[in-house]
Amino acid sequence: MDGGPGRLNASLQRRLALALVLCIGVVALVAGAFSFAAAYDEARELQDDVLLQVALLVDRQRLDPVPAAPDAHFKAHDDGTRVIVQRLGAVDPAGRHVDDGGVLPIPPTLADGLHTLELGGESFRVLVRTTAAGTRIAVAQESDLRDELAQGSALRTLLPFLVLVPVLLLLVARLVHTMFGPITALAQQVDARAEHDLQPMATHGLPAEVRPFVGAINRLLARVAQAMAVQQRFVADAAHELRSPLAALSLQAERLAQADMSAGARERLAALRQGIERGRRLVDQLLALARAQSAQATQAAAPVSVQRAFRQVLEGLMPLAEARAIDIGVEGAQDVQLRVAERDLHTLLRNLVDNAIRHTPEGGRVDLGVRTTAGAVVLSVRDTGPGIAPEERERVFDPFYRVPGSGPIGSGLGLSIVRAVAERIGASVRLDYSDAAQCTGLAVEVSLAHGDGP
Amino acid sequence: MRVLLVEDDPMIGEAMHAALKDAAYAADWVRDGRTALDALVGQHYDLVLLDLGLPGKDGLEVLGAIRARADPVPLLIVTARDGLDDRLRGLDGGADDYLLKPFEMAELLARMRAVLRRKGGQAAPLLGNGVLALDPATREATVSGGPAVRLSQREFALLRALLLRPGAILSRSELEDRLYGWGEEVESNAVEFLIHALRRKLGADAIRNVRGVGWMVARGG
Repeated sequence: MDGGPGRLNASLQRRLALALVLCIGVVALVAGAFSFAAAYDEARELQDDVLLQVALLVDRQRLDPVPAAPDAHFKAHDDGTRVIVQRLGAVDPAGRHVDDGGVLPIPPTLADGLHTLELGGESFRVLVRTTAAGTRIAVAQESDLRDELAQGSALRTLLPFLVLVPVLLLLVARLVHTMFGPITALAQQVDARAEHDLQPMATHGLPAEVRPFVGAINRLLARVAQAMAVQQRFVADAAHELRSPLAALSLQAERLAQADMSAGARERLAALRQGIERGRRLVDQLLALARAQSAQATQAAAPVSVQRAFRQVLEGLMPLAEARAIDIGVEGAQDVQLRVAERDLHTLLRNLVDNAIRHTPEGGRVDLGVRTTAGAVVLSVRDTGPGIAPEERERVFDPFYRVPGSGPIGSGLGLSIVRAVAERIGASVRLDYSDAAQCTGLAVEVSLAHGDGP
Repeated sequence: MRVLLVEDDPMIGEAMHAALKDAAYAADWVRDGRTALDALVGQHYDLVLLDLGLPGKDGLEVLGAIRARADPVPLLIVTARDGLDDRLRGLDGGADDYLLKPFEMAELLARMRAVLRRKGGQAAPLLGNGVLALDPATREATVSGGPAVRLSQREFALLRALLLRPGAILSRSELEDRLYGWGEEVESNAVEFLIHALRRKLGADAIRNVRGVGWMVARGG
């Protein structure tokens, strides 16, 4: 159960998230690039305009571009936006750096017009103009400004996308979880199914994309159910067909017993008849198993008394118990009414008691009992036989499985029938030692929920 | 006693036929339903043993045809079909008993006797389980054909209750119901006391106790 549906979710979630992040990333990058290019163009135009306006102003007002005196205020000002106006070819007498208020070392031969120059380690946009007075002036501003503007714009475009990514990731996780909710529920429903429950799964409430999948599973379940029904019918038919030849054999052996024969022959005949009896029991058990595994349990019309069932089972098995000198009885007089088919209860108890008698050594003891616990009725059959080791307790329910060393006492089907009947009537079967201290004896407890009370 | 055996399986039919003759019945053996119906027209039979899985005409159809003629002949179904439906259809269809294959001939003969007795309307003169025998007329019990033992009225009532269905376990309250009439005061330990007395007269094994359930006499000797 752990991780099954979880893994499916996580992987789909991861894939969806990855795809979305990639898409968003690409879109953000493209948008950022466009934004950068547009802002860059705009900023350059703006800068060029500013340079042109300043040049025009200087020209019209016949201003004399003189290097400014160094002052602290000026220095503190962001010199990235400073517009420098100077005569072309001017040299700062103090040899100051441009950042300290000095002049730019612009080559005097520069032609009129706009230029981008690398001056003193920094990039400048320079406008060279010949004024009406005939002087050539240069108007310059650092070109970093435009880059900064463009980068800022691009970043502002990218930012919302970057914020969106974690939000989207959370959203995807939430969406996947919600959308796969019905599928997870379906998986749990399938996990919780009983082994023989081949009823189709409900498709309503499922997403349309999943419905065909569930439909296919339902069709498969139907085919499996059909195959199982065919197999069970075959077992039932085969067991049935075996009855007639067994009847013939048993009748012939019975007649043979009436003929005159030596003591040795009589002994062998007795062995033969025991073999026939074993065959008969096996066929009966096969039929009982096929019946218990087929069809759903029918709700009993009337409640059945457990004590009555005990008595009927004991009446049938007393000859066997007496032949093996087994002290068999019922512990406690409490009676409980159960709403199960009488035949199912009888089959279950008969197989448990038969098993107990056969596996208990001669002179042993078998106790039947019933008690009620909170919400359940517990039927118990305890014997003083060898018991079943904990590691064998699951396997003994398999058809024809025999505990190693126990010999071919029974048909090997008794507990399989018990489990099949228990599943039909919604009961659980638990095996334990009847004598926990000595680790011997078998105690079988069958718990049925919702007894009708004592 | 003339018995009609309707059985298509040659091995089973042969064995049953021979066993019936051994048991001093005059037995006719037919292998299909149509012949069986014809035989019943031409001959009087005291009992019919009918298999259900017959070729041509199914056993249940044969049963229906017999009862449709208002023929009350006692009829016992002997079949491998153990479905509850088959059993009910057989018994509802007018069969007097239903025996499942494979079976022991001794059991078939016992059931035949029971059916004949019921149909004859006579109560069995003797109650018994093969070991114990009880004569209701004289209230005398015998063990394995030994000397007759005289029983008190209560002892007799208790033993008769147990011998009516050998093998059945009767609880204390069920036995008390059969010993005491309405309004009669039930003495405590009366059942134990009577059983103790019966065991002393008939042997310790005559009546068996099933711990926590009740008492019984063994079925069949």
